[in-house]
Amino acid sequence: MEERKYLDIEDIELFFSTSEGTVRAVDKVSFGLPRGESMVVVGESGCGKSSLGNAILRLLPRNTEKYEGHVFLNSEDLMSLSDEKFRHDIRWNRLALVPQAAMNSLNPVIKVQDQVAEPLLVHDMVDNKEQAKDRVVKSFRRVGVPTDFLQRYPFELSGGMKQRVSIAMSLVTEPDIVILDEPTSALDMLTQANIMNVLKRIKEELGISFILITHDIGTSSEIADRAAVMYAGQIVEYTDARNFFGDPLHPYSIKLMSSVPRLDVDKDLDYIPGQPPSLLNLPEGCYFAERCHKRFEKCSQEPPLFEVEDDWHVKCWLYK
Amino acid sequence: MKEEETLEETEKYAVDSLEDESSSGDAARIAKYILFRTLLLMMSVVIGVYLVILVANMGGQVDDIRRAEISYNVSMQLMAMQDQLGDMPAEERREFERQLREREERRLGLDQPFILRSFVYLRDALTLDLGRAEQLTSDTGSRRVRRIILERLPPTLLLMITSFFILFFIALFVALFLSRRYGSKLDRAIVTLAPTSAAPSWFYGVFLILIFSTVAGILPRGGMVGAPPPEGTLPYALSVLRHAILPVTALVIAGVFIQIYNWRTFFLIYSQEDYVEMAKAKGLSRRNIELKYILRPTLPPIITSFAMALIFRWMGSIVLERVFNWPGLGRMLFEAIGLYDVPVIVGAQVIFAYLLAFTVFFLDIIYAILDPRVKVGQGSEGGKA
Repeated sequence: MEERKYLDIEDIELFFSTSEGTVRAVDKVSFGLPRGESMVVVGESGCGKSSLGNAILRLLPRNTEKYEGHVFLNSEDLMSLSDEKFRHDIRWNRLALVPQAAMNSLNPVIKVQDQVAEPLLVHDMVDNKEQAKDRVVKSFRRVGVPTDFLQRYPFELSGGMKQRVSIAMSLVTEPDIVILDEPTSALDMLTQANIMNVLKRIKEELGISFILITHDIGTSSEIADRAAVMYAGQIVEYTDARNFFGDPLHPYSIKLMSSVPRLDVDKDLDYIPGQPPSLLNLPEGCYFAERCHKRFEKCSQEPPLFEVEDDWHVKCWLYK
Repeated sequence: MKEEETLEETEKYAVDSLEDESSSGDAARIAKYILFRTLLLMMSVVIGVYLVILVANMGGQVDDIRRAEISYNVSMQLMAMQDQLGDMPAEERREFERQLREREERRLGLDQPFILRSFVYLRDALTLDLGRAEQLTSDTGSRRVRRIILERLPPTLLLMITSFFILFFIALFVALFLSRRYGSKLDRAIVTLAPTSAAPSWFYGVFLILIFSTVAGILPRGGMVGAPPPEGTLPYALSVLRHAILPVTALVIAGVFIQIYNWRTFFLIYSQEDYVEMAKAKGLSRRNIELKYILRPTLPPIITSFAMALIFRWMGSIVLERVFNWPGLGRMLFEAIGLYDVPVIVGAQVIFAYLLAFTVFFLDIIYAILDPRVKVGQGSEGGKA
């Protein structure tokens, strides 16, 4: 076993039970992330990105049937921690989350400053409320929320502001890693760009690692050092961001990249025919084979994750 | 773009100065809301009472009955005076009878059109100038409707307020408990029992009397206090308490299962909100999440549903008091209806209208304090509540 990365995920598997049977939402996902680096996880809707993000924070929905694998943070095995210890020591202390529906993730009847201060208070990170307030103000300034919004209720904020408040909340304890689950998907282009700039600045200032879960490949290239592509619950390509954004290898990644609109090249946008396979009824062999433009005989068997070059992993027989 | 502008102004704002402004803003918001609600409730009381007056007088039909009654009384009177009037000519006699009748009608105001009088009634009713009862009397022998009602009000309030509080807290805690154990045996049992609330409280009262007083003989079958009433405050209070057990239980049984079912559903729905998940992610303890992220945001709809339930309970209490022979407003109304005592019926309805309005008003204030989104008149800046 090579040296552990700061965050090291090993063979995470997550099963949900549904009325139609058991679904494997996350399928043996492994990756490592060095300290201070950020990664982007891309893929179509329903490919398990959000489930992966929530699973790392052990936020499991009621219908979770099985959750297995290892999450090492600074070589500490988080899976061996009790729920109570995990809650107190890991959540928001070391790992924070900006959830997918950040707009609805604020309690409607509590003033935003109190909500943002909460993690500080429950994790005993400040001695008194004054200190908590100072940290909240600092966090608000950092993400560009005017401090006169402190006393407001969430319904008095615009969508972009709520998003910023959520980000401020995730940063208030200055955790090691922040998982951002589609932080900009419900916002207009200007606000999106704005928030990405805020994130970029914070990354440089505080050295916080972001795990950015998104299907918006264009904006994510701004802050990512590494990129992972997920398909049907699996990571199909994991590499340095420069490799991925420059010249991705996996046929799915190639299609994904060429579906991003670009102003400098005049071309029709590419798309991938068909739908991702139902997680209830996965095909034999490579899950992407059915939609793949480079399919060949070998694809009826499931490919392993090949290491093509140093630090460039692709789950495709083409790169054996 | 607006966000950009505010961004630049960020540094100007001091934190402390804003706090007072905001809390006074909160108070102003609540005061404004309360004023608005008061006006609205007053209007509904006026409309409600006027409708009662119309109905109780059958839209004026009662006047005909009363006229017939007067002419019957007058002819009986004349018959009794047969000796003195024996030699009066028939024409003169009819004229005398007519005069007597008109005098009586004028005394009762029957010479004026009903619609005109209905507004006089309305004014009198709203100012609690409720007139004199036709048949009922108070325990002290007074015929004044106001006195009769004020005498019967405390027992009703005692019964209702006690059962409302018990109902509220039992339902709230059991609902919260069940929402944690969604799908358990107890949960399913309560859900199955929810339709029992379709039956009114007096229905359960009959059974409770049968079981606990007729068969078991451990609790009194009715009344508010033992006969003769015990001497001293404490024994008296204990006696009232003993008598109140069954009616309060009946009221609680009739409401509790549906209330638990409703609120448990509220809790379940609200516990799936994204901010609850967020609270979990933030590492808040279970207790904290339950209080601040589930119970707290759910309270406004809970208060609303409770207000609805209370209105329903007020109505049910009328028969319940009769069943338990509880000397309250409900029993009085029951008697007044039996005796066709219009002033008392109207009076009771006025008091019920006021009581309902007070209940709703009280809950509205709580609502306004609980939910910062409650605003009236002005459009909120955030705009998207």
